[in-house]
Amino acid sequence: MKCVIAGTHLRVFGRAIHAIARISDEFWFDPNEKGLALRSVNSSRSAYACVFFSSMFFQYYCWTAEPELCQKKRQLPLTCKLVMKSVLPVFRWLNTLERNVEKCNIYTNVNDCHITFKLFCKHGIVKTYNLAFHESEPLQAVFSRHMCPNVLKIQSRLLTDIMIHFPTYQEEVTVAVTPMKVCFKSYTEEEIDFSKAMHTKIHLNPDEFDYFQIGVDSEVTFCLKELRGLLGFAEATSASVSIHFDVSGKPIAFSIEDMMVEASFVLATLADIENRESSQQSLCLSQRQKRPTLMKAHADNVENVSNNSADNNSNTETIASKKPCWTERAHSNTKLPVECRKPLSKGDDIIPIISKKDMNNIEVLDMSAAGDIKIVEEVVPSYSDQCKVHSYAIHQVLPIAILRNKTHFIKYCIFQFHSLFFGAVSLKEQDVISHTLHSLATASDAEDDFDNEQLSQVV
Amino acid sequence: MRFRAKIVDVACLNHFTRVINTIAKLAKTCTLRLTVDKLYFILTDKVANGGVSMWCELNQGNFFDEFQMEGVAAEHNEIYLELTPENLSRALKTAQNAKTVKIKLTNKHCPCVTVAVELPSLSSSSRIVTHDIPVGVIPRRLWNDFREPSVPDFDVSIYLPVLKTMKSVVERMKNLSNCIVLEANLNGEMNLKIETDLVSVTTHFKGLGNPPWVSEDGSQNSTQDRDPESMAEARIDIRKLLQLLAGQQVNPTKALCNIVSKRIVHFILLHEEVSLQYFIPALA
Repeated sequence: MKCVIAGTHLRVFGRAIHAIARISDEFWFDPNEKGLALRSVNSSRSAYACVFFSSMFFQYYCWTAEPELCQKKRQLPLTCKLVMKSVLPVFRWLNTLERNVEKCNIYTNVNDCHITFKLFCKHGIVKTYNLAFHESEPLQAVFSRHMCPNVLKIQSRLLTDIMIHFPTYQEEVTVAVTPMKVCFKSYTEEEIDFSKAMHTKIHLNPDEFDYFQIGVDSEVTFCLKELRGLLGFAEATSASVSIHFDVSGKPIAFSIEDMMVEASFVLATLADIENRESSQQSLCLSQRQKRPTLMKAHADNVENVSNNSADNNSNTETIASKKPCWTERAHSNTKLPVECRKPLSKGDDIIPIISKKDMNNIEVLDMSAAGDIKIVEEVVPSYSDQCKVHSYAIHQVLPIAILRNKTHFIKYCIFQFHSLFFGAVSLKEQDVISHTLHSLATASDAEDDFDNEQLSQVV
Repeated sequence: MRFRAKIVDVACLNHFTRVINTIAKLAKTCTLRLTVDKLYFILTDKVANGGVSMWCELNQGNFFDEFQMEGVAAEHNEIYLELTPENLSRALKTAQNAKTVKIKLTNKHCPCVTVAVELPSLSSSSRIVTHDIPVGVIPRRLWNDFREPSVPDFDVSIYLPVLKTMKSVVERMKNLSNCIVLEANLNGEMNLKIETDLVSVTTHFKGLGNPPWVSEDGSQNSTQDRDPESMAEARIDIRKLLQLLAGQQVNPTKALCNIVSKRIVHFILLHEEVSLQYFIPALA
């Protein structure tokens, strides 16, 4: 990949890097023919960021690795996983960057796994940064904005003016909406002494928003710290911010759309359950399942799948524990369903994937090329009643999110959609599950006929 | 117990915020005493044990457009609250362009001082930001702990030099030593000294002037008998002095200090509507 950014656009690019830095220590450079996407997921999988720069943003943009590869049939985009600590210094001083740098070249060297940032500054100074990357499949959040009943659109300046009232140490913020009013308030955990913390509330009138649509009254709590990155970026582009959300437990998405840049931050929200003693709800750890017969992708995420299957539990927890703000506290948190994008081949659609641990609890229908249905794993009995609800979920959802690739049909996608629309469910905690499922049952429409066989019918 | 106050004027709001910011820099938690016509911010660490103490007095009429207070009882028409001034400072920080700021005592999950800021907005109705700051109500039996400290029987009283200059001097000295000696005489001379094994640094201030004090019975002040050249000194913790100097956001109308030799230094900073007294005990 090779691209050139003009000096005038460097500020926006730099701000995007800064915004993503708030999410995680690592991010992906994900070029495709339309443009370059920067993606990042935080360690506890509760926040996902993507900033997409269309090819128009660049003075020059070429996404293919080497000209020779164009000849080959297989055209694989090179996705690089970079460490934020090495990239951030390149774009740290944005004011200086804007004043002194005339253009910035970015190109990847496949052979020695290096990405080079070359800043052409005034007075003939050229700063070159050679950073190592490793090839890795980026993760993407599975989240459809158009399904959200609540949509708000607000000027970025206004959103910053609202968030400024919260102290910088404020981690979580709740937004409570009804068709008549909107209220942003600070969120404090119950364990923390109420008599110590200051509570801030901001009441807004619906007509302060450029677009205001509330389909369902809701109160969602999300991490403000992660959002602040987007706010900084929004100011650089001075576009308006769209907020898509649903009820508590479902993700909230903040997005900015410009002519040349699109940014999207999807944050998990706190699930509103009575029993807050449950441990971290984990789901949809989209670690790549090795499928030797069908997947021929960069199986780079194999590194994520623990080879010792006995260790899977701890695998989840280690990842979860990296981000203390969401794990140490004993409240349930919904994780975002993310999935690994495999390189597009044969017009495949995005395929949800699962970790080995999850495999133990679900049924996988692996259809070989011949079209036979083969059950790979058994359903654990304790989960079978829950499967009913899940299959109901898929029944509703499938028409919308279509799995076009018929060679793979994974029942796990139930969980994926389930978490999309009903909040994440832990595979471990029975109490939590039963309670959440109870709420699922009551919240959804009463459709009585569901059973497992319907899956094959749908297919 | 009721308390409601409202600030409408931008300049008053600004000034009040600055006072709160100063208090926030001096004390982590302090006592707010409300009377019908004054507000007091009080800090009474045990001076005997080496803690500082502070007494700050404001005339409410200079800041608030509306001020209604009903104390705990008719004959004790006052309210004593324990609060963290930093919270109040934070609440006021983003309120500088507000249309009105209302401060009132409320009882949400616990007693709170609620700061309700009405901000201008593009829409027809204003944006309202409320901050609930938890406070503790101090019962009447403890009110005696918070009496106004009396002016000590000082040896020398002297006007302070320009605070900004004093602050920059003390800041440099802080890197060299933990204690500073403050000495002054009745000739308007003051020295700030630090002494370590490696280095000793003294800064001399001259021509400062000594404020005239009249004792209550009208007789001559005992310090008149004192040799004007003789220095009264006190060795104090440099960080506490710096806290006081750094917290000042505006130059006071009058700034002076009273030194009780080897015992305590009493600082008095007077602004138009605010008076601040700060006691730093001497180190052994």
